[in-house]
Amino acid sequence: MSARERILDRVRAAIGRRDTIDHPGDFEGWRPPPPAGEAEPAPVEAFRRLFEAAGGEVARVADDREAVAWLAEFASSFATATAGATVPESLRPALPGAPPDEAALGVSMARAAVGETGSLVMDARDGRRAQLLVPTHVVFVQEAHVFATLRDALRDVRADLPSAIGLHSGPSKSADIGQIMVKGVHGPGRVVAVLIAGSPPGNPGSPPR
Amino acid sequence: MTAPTRPNDYRAASVATLRDHPGVRDSVGSATRTFDAHRRQAFSQIEPEAWRDWARDVKSHALTHLDRYLEEAEKRLTANGARVHWAESADEALAVLTEIVGRRSVRTAVKGKSMLTEELHVNPHLERLGVHVRETDLGEYIIQLLGEPPSHIVGPAIHKSIDDCRRLFHRELGTAPDAEPDALAAAAREALRAEFLAADLGISGGNFLAADTGTVALIENEGNIRLSTSLPRVHVAFVGIEKVVPRLEDVSGFLQITARAATGQPIGNFVSLLQGPRRGGEVDGPEEVHVVLVDNGRTELLADDAAWEALRCVRCGACLNICPVYRQTGGHAYGWTYSGPIGAIIAPALLGLEEAMPLPYASSLCGACADVCPVRIPIPELLVHWREKAVEAGLAPLTETAALKAFTLAAEHPELYRTGSALLRWTPWKLGGRALPVLGGWMQEREPPEPSARAFRDAWKDGLV
Repeated sequence: MSARERILDRVRAAIGRRDTIDHPGDFEGWRPPPPAGEAEPAPVEAFRRLFEAAGGEVARVADDREAVAWLAEFASSFATATAGATVPESLRPALPGAPPDEAALGVSMARAAVGETGSLVMDARDGRRAQLLVPTHVVFVQEAHVFATLRDALRDVRADLPSAIGLHSGPSKSADIGQIMVKGVHGPGRVVAVLIAGSPPGNPGSPPR
Repeated sequence: MTAPTRPNDYRAASVATLRDHPGVRDSVGSATRTFDAHRRQAFSQIEPEAWRDWARDVKSHALTHLDRYLEEAEKRLTANGARVHWAESADEALAVLTEIVGRRSVRTAVKGKSMLTEELHVNPHLERLGVHVRETDLGEYIIQLLGEPPSHIVGPAIHKSIDDCRRLFHRELGTAPDAEPDALAAAAREALRAEFLAADLGISGGNFLAADTGTVALIENEGNIRLSTSLPRVHVAFVGIEKVVPRLEDVSGFLQITARAATGQPIGNFVSLLQGPRRGGEVDGPEEVHVVLVDNGRTELLADDAAWEALRCVRCGACLNICPVYRQTGGHAYGWTYSGPIGAIIAPALLGLEEAMPLPYASSLCGACADVCPVRIPIPELLVHWREKAVEAGLAPLTETAALKAFTLAAEHPELYRTGSALLRWTPWKLGGRALPVLGGWMQEREPPEPSARAFRDAWKDGLV
């Protein structure tokens, strides 16, 4: 008998005599209602608050044209850059290219974002090195792809999963040295999420119509 | 400081820690109070009781259907192109590494923080195989350089002060003796970056395993786990069989409640959701992914009609942070991988009751751990459960056994009880009390109350009460 069979047999013997417990259903993220007179923040606003609270930066642009202008301005202080495989040509910085482990700036396209947790949903098809090795990471995401809850975002990606999804919710940080927070320990120490408002949903990075 | 290697040494090890390393209590106390304050703040923003009910029920559901979900996870992972291994013991889990190291000519490995790989002693095994293995979590890196085991599930180096780190990094990485944490972290980043880029093998644990998609989920803040599981050609994830949950959607709840309970964050700054090796059309990622499903005593725990609930544990460390006993010494005194209240209730099943003694007694049963546990493990009840088992097995401390026997005898014989209670009332506690076992320790720092002049039973007889 294999280890697999022996383990499963012991599991079955152990749980066979025990009452089973039902799955309680979806995670609803139960929260107290907001103070009187205040509305629940919209997903984009919730994302901004949490991403900034976690040490990230957030920029909002009206459309792809503005995104291009924003990037030109932002990238001007960097020497070299790398861009993810799914970043459209227009959103690649006009800087000398460098491999991800040498580039000063990395630009990626997030598949989605999450209001509830302030997370960017990073797809392995965009390239993991460009998401992880650069000191400064710029991530574009369409506002139409900002989900209210993590549950809904995972439900959405479930239908089309790559080898890896990364949820990035702020810069790389650690408090392992004397409980003092430092940024940029392994991954990017500076991360900027750029929310693009005007683009049509379902087609990230496409030019405005 | 060398940590003991078995729980049996707990008493001597905790005395030695407090006597010889008073700074440990300061560092651990400060870190655990900070963790706990963050947890309280994070829980105040949600309805924690509803979250905890949900988390308890999903875990209990998964555990009472564990065979089904393990088989489903195996099927999905295999379809995703990952190789699934089943390991009954640490030796079987390590054999998976031996095979990979030989076949892929592995010379160097990078590791993300994982308690299970500590439990399995992965690092010494790899070193025996001639592999240079590097811990890449900053806290784990610090204690690896010092040759120490982790002292906390979430913050492995919380027993080290900033000055301890300064001295270490000055010696190992040539940083200035008074370097600030930013400079220390930058030096570590540079040293570790080179190791990431060169490593043949990446090793991780797994916080959760979603059965329906075959997804290994990992939580962190530094990005080192993402790097360890993305850069090397081969990735091996060691996952305890109890980590499986039914659906990827369930992971959405666990990522949040675990982060809130552990560090007070809405979610770890980096989460990896790993389905398998790099696919066609992807520009990078490992060519080979192995998932090792590890038993190593977990089915023993599952078979215990009370203690099986401990398998719900998500390793957030909240019970360590709140524990007045853990706070005195940190984790090393406990003598094995899992310290604090959770360690004390899983040790008897994972190590054997005799080997785990006296950990079920390393608690005042104050109940704070049960109040904070995000999956509602009845920790104090399980501590008592193992104490009962220890009494049955004749493993209970002699003083406790003798005291209980004496009380039983007295309680069954009214005359003896009366004489005994009179004797106790006239005992010169303040003079001789400190020499007594158990009570003596209590009296080191406290004034015993003055016994009343009359016994309750005499007052009762006289109609005074």
